[in-house]
Amino acid sequence: MLRILHDTNYDFIRWWKVMAAITIAFIVLGLGSLAIKPLNLSIEFTGGTLVQLEFTQPPDVGVIRSTLDQAGIHGAEIQQFGTNREFTVRAQDPAAVAAQSKGAEGIAVTIERVLKQKFGESNLRVARTEGVGPRVGDELKRGAIIAILLSFLITLVYLSIRFEWRFATAAVIATSHDVFTTIAFLKLMHLEISLTVVAGLLTVLGYSLNDTIIIFDRVRENLRKGRKETLYETLNRSINETLPRSILTHATVLAATLSLLFFAGEVIRPFAWVMAFGIITGTFSSIYVAAPVLLWIERKWPRQTGARQTSSTATPTSRTRRSTATATR
Amino acid sequence: MSLKWRIAIIFGLIAASFWTLFPRTVIERVKRNGEFVYDTVRRVPLKRGLDLQGGMHLALEVDESKGLVADKSKAIDNALKVVRNRIDEFGVSEPVVQKAGNDRIIVELPGIDDPRRAQDVVQKSAFLEFQITDETQALEKALPRLDALLKGKTLATADSTPGAKKDTTASSAGLQSLFTADTSKKADSAKTDSAKAAAGTVGGPGAFSKLVQQGRMPGEYYVAQTDVGTMTQYLALPEVAAAMPPGKVLRWSSDTVSLGGRIYRGLYVLDAKPIITGEYLTDAKPNTSPTEGNLVQFTMNNEGARRFRTETGRHIKDYMAIVLDQRVMGQPPIIQGAIGTNGQITMGGKDLQAAQDLALVLRAGSLPVPLKVADVRVIGASLGQDSIHKSITAGVIAIALVVFIMLFYYRFSGALAVAALVLYILYTLAALAGFQAVLTLPGLAGFVLSIGIAVDANVLIFERIREELAHGKTVRTAIDEGFRHAMSAIVDSNVSTALTAAVLYQYGTGPVRGFAVTLLAGIAASMITSIFVVRTFYMIWLNRSRDAQTSLSI
Repeated sequence: MLRILHDTNYDFIRWWKVMAAITIAFIVLGLGSLAIKPLNLSIEFTGGTLVQLEFTQPPDVGVIRSTLDQAGIHGAEIQQFGTNREFTVRAQDPAAVAAQSKGAEGIAVTIERVLKQKFGESNLRVARTEGVGPRVGDELKRGAIIAILLSFLITLVYLSIRFEWRFATAAVIATSHDVFTTIAFLKLMHLEISLTVVAGLLTVLGYSLNDTIIIFDRVRENLRKGRKETLYETLNRSINETLPRSILTHATVLAATLSLLFFAGEVIRPFAWVMAFGIITGTFSSIYVAAPVLLWIERKWPRQTGARQTSSTATPTSRTRRSTATATR
Repeated sequence: MSLKWRIAIIFGLIAASFWTLFPRTVIERVKRNGEFVYDTVRRVPLKRGLDLQGGMHLALEVDESKGLVADKSKAIDNALKVVRNRIDEFGVSEPVVQKAGNDRIIVELPGIDDPRRAQDVVQKSAFLEFQITDETQALEKALPRLDALLKGKTLATADSTPGAKKDTTASSAGLQSLFTADTSKKADSAKTDSAKAAAGTVGGPGAFSKLVQQGRMPGEYYVAQTDVGTMTQYLALPEVAAAMPPGKVLRWSSDTVSLGGRIYRGLYVLDAKPIITGEYLTDAKPNTSPTEGNLVQFTMNNEGARRFRTETGRHIKDYMAIVLDQRVMGQPPIIQGAIGTNGQITMGGKDLQAAQDLALVLRAGSLPVPLKVADVRVIGASLGQDSIHKSITAGVIAIALVVFIMLFYYRFSGALAVAALVLYILYTLAALAGFQAVLTLPGLAGFVLSIGIAVDANVLIFERIREELAHGKTVRTAIDEGFRHAMSAIVDSNVSTALTAAVLYQYGTGPVRGFAVTLLAGIAASMITSIFVVRTFYMIWLNRSRDAQTSLSI
């Protein structure tokens, strides 16, 4: 029998302050840089036009730009997309979006026409165009935010029924932590946030929640056994007991994610990046956000479970204090 | 549940999955001789979304830049009929035209990747005309002339021309020229186009007359659906146009009729000059009268009423075709007497829906609402094909890696999980086909990802079994306990993921919806395979040897 990290007894939660500092620093760095440059939202959300071009020969990007400028399409973002013969042209500055309100198809047609004039009809092909009016973009943005908030609400209700509100709240807080780290990651990697990436984000939330639930399920079970130990110890024990499962599942999910990242092509890549990061942040938050938050809630609003309750509420405080000392040493 | 039943259920599901996924004959709009018709094709019943098969997605909105529209929802209802009519001219397989929300029309055109054609859908405003059908048998008289003309003339048929794309443009330009005859310049260039494309079959004796059959009323003819493409090309020829009876026009019907098992499209010979156009119509609404059945009542403005009274007075007992954007809508009704401000069209036994549709047509002509494109996505067919190939590559590699990890770590039990994974893939695809879900690129990515996630339930169970074994339980008890204890974690985590997927489905659009559907199908299939199927495998293994197994490779 091959075993990885079997029968371990690490004191995971002891490090929560260090981990909190790291994750807060990461979030602050990511969200703070929003002040310098906004999120890279796809035209689905901002409105605008995207044209994906396939050239027969690698073109000169400068020529593409000057051709578009002459045609009156200023400030278009030209990016290589996969090979050096494939490019995307994105016109999503306010002027382009305003022109869009007359009808979304206009700019794409212009881009295709002027570039074909410049490079020759047979030397480039339009693989994909997207043109989104500003109103559609606003609606999609609102839809995405509603979807995330609604999934939180539903999760909270379901877990409150299946566990209890303390667990549910801790799980949802851990999951919302993942929203922030993932947005920070998207910002720092300058990944384009499209509808597919939002779907990826929701998958990450589901995955992270799964991870938290697996640990909490073990906590629930260990609490029922009524061992003479504090909640702090129960949490640590549960994390350790579920460790082999976590490692194995992360390995298989990572295998699938990396296949997508390297082989599924350019369109899916941002989604795969989000998922790859999601595995990390999901695991992290299940241990270092969900567990400490549960301890904190437990201290503030102790469970009414008779005699055991006093010990399980009193100790986390002292433990926390001790772990602070360790962390700063 | 006894082992026999378990095995029966698993095989039942396998059989059902194969049956669902087996290539079958479906009725689809496909291209035959350059014309899209409903026909039977054999294919695996998995629908590909626009991002995988290539095509165009449009969202249309009321354009209020030239003035506010009071009731957008009603305006959109009117426009819907017009848009549908024009989409039909595109001749696209499986087009989607539907109202989204209160003020938007969604159009999906698989296989079309020319954004310029989107403009055609919206930039023409609907044009409604009332035209009297021909009573003089003008076409019959012209037939010998037409046949003689076509004799010895070569003509392209769609499947004999190499370069399918070129052919598409030529024949669609032909369609265009027939239906937008007033833009003579455009029509001329289109005619030369299809004349240039001409090369192939030779029109034999009676080439024209053998395609048309007399219909049920004067001026009505039927052309078999399979011949519509050929006929369209004949009509596009300049010589044929010149030989047509003067003062008459030919218009296709918007509907097809089925006669003796064959599908025919109506072709009408109409007086070229309309007795009235839609601009004089102020309202039209469906109604039901106890004596006359379903009918449509319409109202003219003062000037229209005056003209209409004179014209209808002259044409009593004639048939009046209602022509929207150069297509005859429904069966032309007979004129019973002079009609003024208020008129009605009885539907002759047709249902209320038909009356509603006709009222919409009439209103569409009277209330042309300008539309604009709010959202357009065009995906080239080759890009879609490329996406499919890449997703399959990623999927195969993901499966190989997951199989390796499971076999390496769990040995024999891992092999059971891998066997269950194969069933997982089969069941998921079958569920997608069975619910007629649309496969999109994010959906495929989600499916690849789900292969990694699907084994999680088995990992949970195996780890539990290991723990139970470590506690010194017998193999049989350890397996039982392992499944029992892992259950709550599996159910809770899967249900919460399913709830998230349901939210995605509700609030997502197009590709994202495809993702949510794949996720849901995957969750259901993984619950069945990792819990029920793997459990059954263990039971078979335990049963095989009478003396209880003493060790388990896990």
